[in-house]
Amino acid sequence: MAPSVQEGFRALADPTRRQILMHLSMQDMTIGEVAEKFEMTRAAVKKHLVVLEQGKLISVHNMGRERINRLEPLGLKSVADWFNYFSRFWDERLANLKHAIENEKEQKDG
Amino acid sequence: MAETELTKTVYLDAPRDTVWAFLTEKDKLAKWFHPAAADLAEGEDYALLETDDSGNTVKLCWGTVLKMDRPTNLVWSFTIKPLGGAMTTVTWTLEDSHGGTRLTLRHEGIGMAAGEAPLGLLTALDAGWDAHFADLRKATSA
Repeated sequence: MAPSVQEGFRALADPTRRQILMHLSMQDMTIGEVAEKFEMTRAAVKKHLVVLEQGKLISVHNMGRERINRLEPLGLKSVADWFNYFSRFWDERLANLKHAIENEKEQKDG
Repeated sequence: MAETELTKTVYLDAPRDTVWAFLTEKDKLAKWFHPAAADLAEGEDYALLETDDSGNTVKLCWGTVLKMDRPTNLVWSFTIKPLGGAMTTVTWTLEDSHGGTRLTLRHEGIGMAAGEAPLGLLTALDAGWDAHFADLRKATSA
């Protein structure tokens, strides 16, 4: 698994960062525009955006003197795939566990 | 905001002590998960193993047993090889239920809010969970 996927998990674990992603899902934004949506300093917002960028959930583009933050749906998808992966992983293991316990019971009863 | 966690519940037709043994004893873990290097012990590292094609023993899942509260509550830190050592937390809860055991698995730290995901993509994913749970319910009630 690519390290960026782990960083994607880390990025999504924070509610503020999920909120930022929600805003970016509607439109690209500068740091200043993101900061306006939250009661946070630009520096605090910048920190969150760096984590999101490391997780490949957003990309940053230079537009003249502005830096525009843009959602990266594919990054989000790879994290989503991980979640699905574990869901299937446990479904299989739990089905195995149920089976193993039933087998043991039959052996005892029989 | 929802926690970033995955939860699964399954009903097992066996008392809690039996289920507990399947979660903590190396021979019983081998029957449904992977062989463990040793019986699990609180505060100690554990590893679930597999023998690869060339006969070498490799660790598939590992972590530390954070809490053992027999026979109700078991907590592991947990990682798998593809996660490259990044730890998540797995909590097992055992409850008496209709002469058997209701076993709940909570896997935290994987990554995202499954419950109230704000984005369209995450919402689509939530629909996937519902289908999973429906399957699981079917499987466990059979």
